[in-house]
Amino acid sequence: MACRGRGGPGQPPSAALSPVSPGSLSASRTSAHNICMVSDFFYPNMGGVESHIYQLSQCLIERGHKVIVVTHAYGTRKGIRYLTNGLKVYYLPLKVMYNQSTATTLFHSLPLLRYIFVRERVTIIHSHSSFSAMAHDALFHAKTMGLQTVFTDHSLFGFADVSSVLTNKLLTVSLCDTNHIICVSFTSKENTVLRAALNPEIVSVIPNAVDPTDFTPDPFRRHDSIITVIVVSRLVYRKGTDLLSGIIPELCQKYPDLHFIIGGEGPKRIILEEVRERYQLHDRVRLLGALEHKDVRNVLVQGHIFLNTSLTEAFCMAIVEAASCGLQVVSTRVGGIPEVLPESLIILCEPSVKSLCEGLEKAIFQLRSGMLPAPEDIHNIVKTFYTWRNVAERTEKVYDRVAEEAVLPMDQRLDRLISHCGPVTGYIFALLAVFNFLFLVLLRWIIPDSIIDVAVDATGPRGTWTHQHPHSEDKVEDSGKCKTR
Amino acid sequence: MCAQPVTNTKEVRWQKVLYERQPFPDNYVDRRFLEELRKNIYARKYQYWAVVFESSVVVQQLCSVCVFVVIWWYMDEGLLAPHWLFGTGLASSLIGYVLFDLIDGGEGRKKSGRTRWADLKSALVFITFTYGFSPVLKTLTESVSTDTIYAMSVFMLLGHLIFFDYGANAAIVSSTLSLNMAIFASVCLASRLPRSLHAFIMVTFAIQIFALWPMLQKKLKARTPRSYVGVTLLFAFSALGGLLSISVVGAILFALLLISISCLCPFYLIRLQLFKENIHGPWDEAEIKEDLSRFLS
Amino acid sequence: MEDEQSFSDICGGRLALQRRYYSPSCREFCLSCPRLSLRSLTAVTCSVWLAAYGLFTLCENSMVLSAAIFITLVGLLGYLHFVKIDQETLLIIDSLGIQMTSSYASGKESTTFIEMSKVKDIVINEAIYMQKVIYYLCILLKDPVEPQGVSQVVPVFQVSTEPLPFPQCNPPPVLSAFPPRLFFSRGGNLCGQSM
Repeated sequence: MACRGRGGPGQPPSAALSPVSPGSLSASRTSAHNICMVSDFFYPNMGGVESHIYQLSQCLIERGHKVIVVTHAYGTRKGIRYLTNGLKVYYLPLKVMYNQSTATTLFHSLPLLRYIFVRERVTIIHSHSSFSAMAHDALFHAKTMGLQTVFTDHSLFGFADVSSVLTNKLLTVSLCDTNHIICVSFTSKENTVLRAALNPEIVSVIPNAVDPTDFTPDPFRRHDSIITVIVVSRLVYRKGTDLLSGIIPELCQKYPDLHFIIGGEGPKRIILEEVRERYQLHDRVRLLGALEHKDVRNVLVQGHIFLNTSLTEAFCMAIVEAASCGLQVVSTRVGGIPEVLPESLIILCEPSVKSLCEGLEKAIFQLRSGMLPAPEDIHNIVKTFYTWRNVAERTEKVYDRVAEEAVLPMDQRLDRLISHCGPVTGYIFALLAVFNFLFLVLLRWIIPDSIIDVAVDATGPRGTWTHQHPHSEDKVEDSGKCKTR
Repeated sequence: MCAQPVTNTKEVRWQKVLYERQPFPDNYVDRRFLEELRKNIYARKYQYWAVVFESSVVVQQLCSVCVFVVIWWYMDEGLLAPHWLFGTGLASSLIGYVLFDLIDGGEGRKKSGRTRWADLKSALVFITFTYGFSPVLKTLTESVSTDTIYAMSVFMLLGHLIFFDYGANAAIVSSTLSLNMAIFASVCLASRLPRSLHAFIMVTFAIQIFALWPMLQKKLKARTPRSYVGVTLLFAFSALGGLLSISVVGAILFALLLISISCLCPFYLIRLQLFKENIHGPWDEAEIKEDLSRFLS
Repeated sequence: MEDEQSFSDICGGRLALQRRYYSPSCREFCLSCPRLSLRSLTAVTCSVWLAAYGLFTLCENSMVLSAAIFITLVGLLGYLHFVKIDQETLLIIDSLGIQMTSSYASGKESTTFIEMSKVKDIVINEAIYMQKVIYYLCILLKDPVEPQGVSQVVPVFQVSTEPLPFPQCNPPPVLSAFPPRLFFSRGGNLCGQSM
């Protein structure tokens, strides 16, 4: 029972114990950032945004930054949890309103978020997804507190209907004094610049990525006597399930050896079932229902052709995953999809049954005549395209740039809100910003920043708990449990 | 923000692709930025007189309501004998019925496959039932105060004007609801008339002016636009004249309303088109244009 | 052997930590917060009475005044007896166990004893507590049925609403009494309560 800490607080106790400090990487970097990812969408919820935040955070931690994630509580999963490599996740007790997005009053989340930002010594707030109210709240508070802000937009929006006019206005307000914005494709950048009336210079394009080691081809899993078309998407209108219901009967009548495997769940599943019923295709069209992310690869490798019928898509990870598994991709030409894969790997069609059928027929013809490259070759090409390390590297450059920028002081921020967001909205939100600032002053008076204790990093005080500590294995196991639960 | 600068001297063209690492920073803005942006591709160009012509539907309907209220007022005051109104109504209905077939040379009748006998039958059934029930109509709202009746009629007639099918493709349009509201208003007003014969004739007149007249109008507008304009003008002036005999101020206000709807509103519509900025581009959600229900039927 | 240090609690109040080393296998940690100050007592009483007087001028019912006096007295007694903790002591004897004593301002004392054989581990946990995120020290008890499991989590040093003084030094001195067997728990049970 040697009392390690006998020396008291003045003496660094861990320095002698850790000859190879895990902080050496971060020590060598001049600009290690303390980054806080904020979004309503995170594990255990599944989706593109969630995996983006997780993978990006992991790669940033690997590069020596400190990353925490803030999201809302999911059921009994509330409080503070740790994921792999000490990624700390705050599940805040905020009420969920609609579609896993929290309600926003622009004020109620300030005390907790401020407490977290202060105790974690956050320097950069990185919000994700324009559907997430919490992300916008965090941006608003961060600007009030004078922190640097980055926003990643994962979705596309139209300009035609009333709801998009309103959301676009809110986005304008939210982004008008944000330091930097990241979009996942060039189309998404154009869209965001138009929606939020931004200077395109402060919008960077950094695509999503897939982990190529998770999506490896396995040509022995597929039957070469038949042709299998794979569809993996949520079965909703925006993913073009209606088009799929037209393609299936059309092609199944023409090609007796064509099979469909459809993974995913959604309100439009019923029309696929009706089509299957009506054309007696039970043995040729398999509906797998909801898939877990880890099962996607096992489904993908069973097919020859991947079909994507989305009506709108900012990036579309699904086609990259499919191409990484060595499938020929047939997709609609919408949103950012044409930018994602080179023409040799994808057949682009118009979003109509006729055009998609022609595309699929072309793919079937190529497959039969042996013109398609081997799955392994496709995988080797695709795996170089998108990696999370590359994404993290480019995001880090955004952080470096942002860290040097000045955050607008309050008066300039108000000017900017008023001049940039139109007379009515501008004044309303400028007033709200003033209230937010007063609220912050009140909170600072009740609990001064100086008495909020600094959080211990997941690596322990001065990195004591990593590597040589026997319990670090416990911790990783533990976080593994967290992830799967 | 990629660190590597453009080292090769030969010009590297920026490509709008994500899978290649390009020697441009991540926030690079190319000349081709937003080149696929389209504005107002679905916007329509309006001609002033065409819009004025289309606005006549609204004018007609306003006039119908005005004429109906004026006639009711005359009846209520006892200035208009019910027999006379019934006679005129019957005569104009017969003329309208003949015209309805003459305009398109009986094409519409052939298409719908309705015989004249069927028309006569339904007319007879309607008249008999209304006549039989008119005493009930008369006493139906006795326990309701007259002010309530007036307020209700006003709301119902307003509702009729709001939900009427002017030819716009909007969710709010519902011709059944609109007709029902008008009939309800007429029943309310008719119940305040002195005798049950008055009530019967009032409801019959409401059917003529709110149900049959718009049908004839629609056909007139489609087939003979010139005569339609004439009819509209005539109808508007007679409505104005009727209102003038009751209230001068009301007539002036009504005239202003009609002028602003038929002349000022089209002018504004065309002026406001200049400010239209409808943005389209590759980010728009694709529309499924074909009918997919054929695969399920 | 004895030493004393002062820290601030999560609300910025002052706390004094006394450490007494009786022998290598027996030591005591004593955390005491300042006694109820006369100033805050006067302030609270005055404000309650002023409010009551304001109400009295409005409704002219003298019941209000007597009720206010009664409420202040009962409230003060309740506060001193159940809420206000003056001192919390943690006595650790290697071979026996851990004894936790909290003494209230009224003089009431409550003592809990945990056998050493039941202690599975000592952890510092983080939880969201009202609008704050706090650290607290807690003892994990072994599950008698399943030796790997945790049957109960006992928070130490609750000092009522000011759970744990966590000064700006790492690791905190209280912890350095124990072998450095700290790991992060998943924050399961307790944050449920504290939310």
